[in-house]
Amino acid sequence: MAQRLLDYEAVAGKNSEPTESAAFRVFAKLRRPLITLAGVAGFRSLLSRALTLARAEAPSLSAAVQVAADGSLKGLDELALQADKEQARNEGAILIAQLIGLLLTFIGEGVTLRLVQDEWPEAAFNGRVSEKERKA
Amino acid sequence: MSTTGKVKINKLPTGVPGLDEILGGGLPEFSFNIIAGAPGSGKTTLAHQIVFANATPERPALYFTILGEPAIKMLRYQQQYTFFDQAKLNTAVRFINLSQVVLEKDLDAVLEEITKEVEKASPGVVVVDSFRTVVRKAQGGTTEVELQSFIQRLALLLTSWQATTFLVGEYVEGEIRDNPVFTVSDGLFWLYQAAERSSIVRKLQIVKLRGQASVPGLHTFRITHAGLQAFSRTLGLAGLVRKIPSARRLSIGIPELDKMLGGGIPEGDSVLVAGASGTGKSVLATQFIAEGIRQGDPGIVVVFEERPQEYAERASSFGLDLKTPRHEKKLEILYLRPLDLSVDETMHEILDAVHKIGAKRLVIDSLAGFEMALAPGFRADFRESLYRMITALTGVGVTILSTVEVNESFTEFPFSTYSISFLTDDIIRLRYVCIDGQLRKIMVVIKMRGGNHSKDIREYEITSKGVVIMGDRLTDYQGLITGIPEHLNRSGNHEERSHKPKAKTKS
Repeated sequence: MAQRLLDYEAVAGKNSEPTESAAFRVFAKLRRPLITLAGVAGFRSLLSRALTLARAEAPSLSAAVQVAADGSLKGLDELALQADKEQARNEGAILIAQLIGLLLTFIGEGVTLRLVQDEWPEAAFNGRVSEKERKA
Repeated sequence: MSTTGKVKINKLPTGVPGLDEILGGGLPEFSFNIIAGAPGSGKTTLAHQIVFANATPERPALYFTILGEPAIKMLRYQQQYTFFDQAKLNTAVRFINLSQVVLEKDLDAVLEEITKEVEKASPGVVVVDSFRTVVRKAQGGTTEVELQSFIQRLALLLTSWQATTFLVGEYVEGEIRDNPVFTVSDGLFWLYQAAERSSIVRKLQIVKLRGQASVPGLHTFRITHAGLQAFSRTLGLAGLVRKIPSARRLSIGIPELDKMLGGGIPEGDSVLVAGASGTGKSVLATQFIAEGIRQGDPGIVVVFEERPQEYAERASSFGLDLKTPRHEKKLEILYLRPLDLSVDETMHEILDAVHKIGAKRLVIDSLAGFEMALAPGFRADFRESLYRMITALTGVGVTILSTVEVNESFTEFPFSTYSISFLTDDIIRLRYVCIDGQLRKIMVVIKMRGGNHSKDIREYEITSKGVVIMGDRLTDYQGLITGIPEHLNRSGNHEERSHKPKAKTKS
């Protein structure tokens, strides 16, 4: 699912602000409904946990990527400017996958899919949750 | 006085089985309510049940969460209940976290945020969970007047926007007098949970409900995978129309006993069969229900000490076929397992079965087993609840036969250890007597409210055909009911008593 979200935003990004990475846009979109649901503190906690899990999986994930007080992700721009674009994209996908994995763990696939679907109404996600996200 | 033009208050379903009836038909639309209780009493689950029962995409439900249970965890747990419909999420049911506003700003900002969301969504139902947190935070630097003003403005906003509101909070009863929120609210639903010995007893009370008559008092409820289920104190029988008593007599399946009863049990009577262990109470009750089936009266047997299969098999050893009528839905054997049952919950189960098969006869075997199956905290209510159920059921023409075990005493002749004789119309007493070096059994009809009955004391035996009354009344003994009678004509020439039944037995 993380990869699909990145793909969507990569396409959408071509028509918008070129400096924003696809990962940045995915997080920005997920942030809104999750803050509405869980509050800033709740979202920040989830994102911090996702970042820790992502770093364990991808130690190269830049130390510059941090969760800000308002629940936004800082340092994603630096990730986008990395020389190895493929690596940057993979690290972004890992981080998104970890966040979705946490949502799946806590609120289950049905509710998570509804939250994601509301932000990407044109996308079809059924069957798109990977085993890795389920186990996250 | 004219009633023309009177406003009609619509009632919303709660989604909680039994609660609408307790509320007097449902939740008054546009009312401003409080759901109060201690942690773990079921407040949030109740609020969710109401939300999912009423929310539609056109009139959604807004669920504001504030510093209580984290919303993610709430969703995690609440979706385990069967009422939780994922398809309604974010369309008909929307969760909004207000923790930040409450923590960082004042009551005006909280009201402003709620107003913004309410005006945007035009919700049919609004929940604030926990409202107690809002008030606690506000009390730091807010006067009582300001707090009351906030609550009043909130109530005004939500009512004007045609929302039915629920403020969820962990309140204690002592707060009712001083807390302004209780003054402003239209409805106050209080949930209780108490540990009594080894059991948990849950009860709810509609402390206040403007505009309609709710059922007063404490009602038990249970939380299962389907959420809350409430059991009204009135057992849903308040509106039942009493049937005019018929002159019909019901055969008990023991011809000689029918004669002793003046032709059988008057339809709609409550009969108590009392006796010591092994005197044949259950056999007699089985004969009563089997005879009813034979005559076309569907029946219910409520057992507590053995399972339905065992009960039916024991009946077959007396030549009584209960398996076929069970299969044909003319007979239901309810096994109410000895768990933490509430009286009302048990009564509801019996009543549901009575309604389902249109039962005309009901056997409760036994009252002692019934009481033992209840959580200790409910045993105090046993007599009262039993009285309500028996009165209501007999009122609509169901004939009830209950068995009760009494301690055999040779100095007294008790009818029941429960002092419930007052709620029975007829009493049949079985007892052991010591005659000629044998422990034999006698029965006597103690009381029949509906008319005359035999005063005879008859000997009986339990044979392969069930309870069989033998011979005529025992005239040769004095003091039979003491259990140690004296032979009146003992000359030393008495015959050894035969055990062949003299009475004609039922085919």
